[in-house]
Amino acid sequence: MNPAADRAARLLRWYPAAWRARYGEEFTELLIADISEQPRSAARTRDVVRGAIVARLAEAGLAGPPVRATAAAPDAGGLQIRASLVSLGCAAAVFGGFGAALWSQLTIGWQWSASASTTATVATVVTSATMLAFLALAVVAALPVLCAIAVTIARQRRKRHVVPAIVLIAATTVLFAGGRHFGNGWPGTGGHRGLVPAGLAAFEWATSLSVNAYWVHPRALAAFPGPELAWMAVSPLALACAVIAAATLVRRTELPPRLLAFEARLATAACAAMAVFLAGCSCWVATGGQRSVFHAGLIDVAGVAIMALALAVARQAACTARLRLGFAGH
Amino acid sequence: MPHEKTASTGEQGDGGQSLAGFGRYAGPATLILSSLADGTKHGYALTKDIESFAGVRISPGTLYEALARLESQGMIAAVESDDRRRPYRLTAAGAAALRAHLDAQRRVADVGLRRLAGNWGTA
Repeated sequence: MNPAADRAARLLRWYPAAWRARYGEEFTELLIADISEQPRSAARTRDVVRGAIVARLAEAGLAGPPVRATAAAPDAGGLQIRASLVSLGCAAAVFGGFGAALWSQLTIGWQWSASASTTATVATVVTSATMLAFLALAVVAALPVLCAIAVTIARQRRKRHVVPAIVLIAATTVLFAGGRHFGNGWPGTGGHRGLVPAGLAAFEWATSLSVNAYWVHPRALAAFPGPELAWMAVSPLALACAVIAAATLVRRTELPPRLLAFEARLATAACAAMAVFLAGCSCWVATGGQRSVFHAGLIDVAGVAIMALALAVARQAACTARLRLGFAGH
Repeated sequence: MPHEKTASTGEQGDGGQSLAGFGRYAGPATLILSSLADGTKHGYALTKDIESFAGVRISPGTLYEALARLESQGMIAAVESDDRRRPYRLTAAGAAALRAHLDAQRRVADVGLRRLAGNWGTA
C-alpha cells in the first residue's frame, strides 16, 4: 500500500461502519487524490475528523437531516427515528440510574427524620413526584414496543431478535431479583415517615447501590459484606446488558409509524420530567443538604453533572426524532 | 430536460424541497448542485469543477457530508458505475431546490447592486 492510500485508510477509520460501507471506496479515492496533491494538511485531518464525528452522531440519531426512504432502503426514515429513540432510551437509563441513587438518599432521610430545611423538603417532594412520573412514562413507553418486538419474534423467530431478547429477560430478572433481595437491607427500613411506598424506595436504593463514594475508599468498601460487594459489581453490568439488549432489539425491529410518533411524544414528556427532577436534585446539592441524613456529597455533585449530560443527550435525541417524524409526515 | 428524466426515472419533482435546512452545508450544497447541473460527476471531478468556477476548494470531509445530506434528501442520486469513484447526478428535486435557492440569491444580489449603484455609484 502506498503512503497516500495508507493515510487515507487511517482517516477513513474515523467514520462509522455503515458510512464506510456506503461511501468508503469513493471517499478513499478522493482522499488519495487529495493527499497526492497536498501531502501534509492539518486542515484536511480536522475536516475529516469533524465529518466523522457528525456521521457518528447522525448514526446515533443525535444529528443530521431526516432521510428520505428510497426503493433500496424503504425503512431508512424509520431506522433513523428508531436510532434517535434508542439514544434517548440509553440517556434515560443513565439518568434513571444516577437519579435513583440520589433520590433514594432523600427518601432514606425522610424515613428517619423530618427535614428542617425547606430545600431538602421541596427537593424530596419534587424528585419523588417526578421519579414516579418518569417510571410511569418508562412503563407506558416500553409496553407497546415490547409487544411489537414479541410479535416480530413470534412471526419470524430469527436469531438476531431471539438472542438480545434472552439477554434482556435474563438481565432484567437479575436486576429485579437482586433489587428485591438487597432491598431488605435498606437503611430506611424501620423508619416511619414514608413519602413513597417503602418497597419502591428500597428497590431503587438496592438497584443503585453501586453508585456510591466507597469506590474511592477501598478500606471502607472492603468492610461491606461479600454479597453486597458482588451486587455492586453485578448490578451495573446487568443494567448495561439490559440497556444494550433493548437498544439492539429496537434497532432491529421495524416499528409502525404511529408507534414511533407516540414514543416521540412520550420522549418529550420524559425530558420535561427529567428536567424537573434535575432541578430538584440541583437545588438540594447546591445548598449542600444538611449535616444530617440529608447530607449531599461529592458523589451527588458528580451524579447531577452526569444527569445533566444525559438530559442534554435525551433532549437532542427527542428533537431529532421529532424533526424526522415531521419530515416523514407521521 | 429534467422533467423528461423525472418521468423516466419515476422521481418526484418535489418543489417543497429547499436548501434552507442545510445550515452550514447550504454553501457546499449549492456548489455541488450547481456543478452537477452540468452533468454527472464523481467526488474528485466535483472538487475540481467547483474550484474552477467558484475558486473554492471543498475539503473531502465537507464534500462527503454535503453529498450524504443531498443524497438522503433525494436531491442527488448515485449513478451505477464499475469505477471505485462513484458518480452522482442531479435529480428533479435537486434541480428545483437549486433553482429556488439561486433565484432567492439573485433577488438579494439585485437589491444589493441596485442600492450600491444608487448610493455609492457604479464602479
